[in-house]
Amino acid sequence: MSQTIEITILSAENLQENKKAIKGNTFVTVQCDGSNNEVSTTKLDSEGGSYPTWNEKVVIDLPLHARFVTIEVKYKTRGSSSNSVGIARVPVSDFLGGYVHENQLQFLSYRLWDNRVMRNGVVNISVKVKMSQQNSCSSSMSSTMNGVPVTGVPVAGNGSCSRVATGIPAVWLNYQRHI
Amino acid sequence: MGSCFSDLKGAKQAVGGVNAQTGTTNNNNDAVDFFYTAQGFQPLFTHVELSLSACNLLDLDIASKSDPMVVVYAKKGDGRLEELGRTEVIPNSLNPEWIEKISIAFHFEMVQPLVFHVYDIDTKYHRVPTKTLKLSDQDFLGEASCTLSEIVTKPSRSLTVKLQNKRGISGQRKQGAITIHAEETVAARSAVEIIFRCSHLDNKDILSKSDPFLRISRIVESGGSVPICKTEVKDNNLNPKWRPLCLNFQQFGSKDNPLLIECFDFNSSGNHALIGKLQKSVADLEKLYQERKGANFVMRSTRNGQEKVLKGQLFVDQYCEKEQFSFIDYVSSGFELNFMVAVDFTASNGNPQQPDSLHYMDLSGRLNSYQKAIMEVGEVIQFYDSDKRFPAWGFGGKIPGGIVSHCFNLNGSLTSSEVVGVEGIMEAYGSALRSVSLSGPTLFGPVINLAAQMAAASLSSYNSSKYYVLLIITDGVVTDLQETINAVVKASDLPLSILIVGVGSTDFKSMEVLDADNGCRLESSTGRIATRDIVQFVPMREIQSGQISVVQALLEELPNQFLTFMRSRDIKPLVSQFPHPSTIL
Repeated sequence: MSQTIEITILSAENLQENKKAIKGNTFVTVQCDGSNNEVSTTKLDSEGGSYPTWNEKVVIDLPLHARFVTIEVKYKTRGSSSNSVGIARVPVSDFLGGYVHENQLQFLSYRLWDNRVMRNGVVNISVKVKMSQQNSCSSSMSSTMNGVPVTGVPVAGNGSCSRVATGIPAVWLNYQRHI
Repeated sequence: MGSCFSDLKGAKQAVGGVNAQTGTTNNNNDAVDFFYTAQGFQPLFTHVELSLSACNLLDLDIASKSDPMVVVYAKKGDGRLEELGRTEVIPNSLNPEWIEKISIAFHFEMVQPLVFHVYDIDTKYHRVPTKTLKLSDQDFLGEASCTLSEIVTKPSRSLTVKLQNKRGISGQRKQGAITIHAEETVAARSAVEIIFRCSHLDNKDILSKSDPFLRISRIVESGGSVPICKTEVKDNNLNPKWRPLCLNFQQFGSKDNPLLIECFDFNSSGNHALIGKLQKSVADLEKLYQERKGANFVMRSTRNGQEKVLKGQLFVDQYCEKEQFSFIDYVSSGFELNFMVAVDFTASNGNPQQPDSLHYMDLSGRLNSYQKAIMEVGEVIQFYDSDKRFPAWGFGGKIPGGIVSHCFNLNGSLTSSEVVGVEGIMEAYGSALRSVSLSGPTLFGPVINLAAQMAAASLSSYNSSKYYVLLIITDGVVTDLQETINAVVKASDLPLSILIVGVGSTDFKSMEVLDADNGCRLESSTGRIATRDIVQFVPMREIQSGQISVVQALLEELPNQFLTFMRSRDIKPLVSQFPHPSTIL
């Protein structure tokens, strides 16, 4: 059970490394606090320096209980390692359930904080919340069970959801009685 | 009194075509216009050309038909009429379509009333240049008046007005109607987007490398240059590539006009060191792009005064011409500006019964600061709102019931906040002054949040063609500055602009942080940064002495804010559903 979010990482501004301009190749990683292992990464921008642009779309599945999306700007150092320039924690409530409804494109910008908790630039993103599975069920009536439209939460076990139960469909209760 | 036969020879003379004026400025005073153009002060507002036609005109000639001509006037603030231009004479026609166009600058921030006088020109004057005709000798056929914003907000930008006698009294005979069509000059829409890159720039910094940026200026007739735009600064880079630069055709005139491109090394002291310069026209830049060649910078050598060719080169990595829709394109296709007002009811205004209160309603009819601000802003924006229903709120007052509200309906209703027309706002304001007692503190948060909700609701409707303008009139510094900043940041991605007028004698310096004109984007307490600058703040006191009214200062930015929002989301003007009207009704 999750919401699909399309985040386009547009650009960043005013990045610094040790009070000097960034020289290396910068890239961005996106992860949400629900699923710890899924990290999406953008391509490198080698020319932007302190003002890189990526314009890259990242699609993530946001579990229902996720509260933040963490966006981290890094730059590649020697070898395959990288240093962090700054992190922005985007509250999910900023783009979900706020003023703007689903399927609307929103342009957002966030302050980046480095590992010394100092301001280090701004990251610009755009977000589009795709219609969630739950909503598309009730609106399209395409997934039905015995001809009756399903409006509840699908039962855990089909592999697509994480460890949290958010409700028990009434139908399940009938099965429980027979066990 | 006309004569029997029309002037055929005069009728066959060419009008318009190659001999048409190519200048786009008001030709009230050529000398002044040329002076300004030579100094480089090209007007930056949009130029609109009015084409006129009429139908069913009065027939005042005996054997033939009237020979009509139109004189167009602008009505000034004191009621006096200032002539803007005249069409040619069309002989023998009661349904003329004049070719000669009248050029006028469209100022969004002003109400521009226009008056049209139609005359029947006597045959003996037909070969005389129309400018020298004495109108008192001619036969008056009718008068019509309207405002320029009425014309540009109509679909297909044409407005038809009935002709009347002078002073608006309808004559006993039908005098016909005049149709005015407004067309923007093509230059208003074309823009070119260029990506510049440089290589091998000279190093002007001692300990590190240069921090180069480009400044592009237009060369004017007197030999000097007027800056048009500049790129951002690329730190510590001798081979920089800048972000795309968008130049509007209106800024540089024509593609062959020479432009001065200077490359400076940024110094935080403000004393930027010149690295090199070169002179190219936009057409030259296009050629550089196509041939993928570089152009060398030159620098005037201090030794012998000659120009030294430097190793540094300028490349054009991208050159693309774009059509950008203009503000008039949007409003004429159906886009609307929805006006909303919020009035400060805090106790610092003073008891409304006392003459020194900012809310004092003078019986002699003189408007107080609040009324003035509402009138001036409302009068301009009302043309862009089709149903003229404006939500009006008050904040910081104690409403009947005893509680202090920071967002109560000015009309006293519990359900709807809307009033009709600017008069409706004035009425609601007057009645609220009687029923609401002034209290405090000054909080903008609730009003801004409510306005943002309305703006967001319209975004999700099928064709989001509404843009909201919230006018907040306040006498004091806001108490919840961070809350207000949070509300503004949250609303910064919505089709909303917030205009704040400060009245009274308070020092509004701390409010200027809301108007991020200094380049500092607003930051909310959660770390979110404003997507765009949606606030305009003006203290009324500052403007009193000058010629510009508060309104003009506030509203000048509005078309730009509207356009940035629409362009950033690639929202185009609605497809016109109306065919181009024929001129004969």
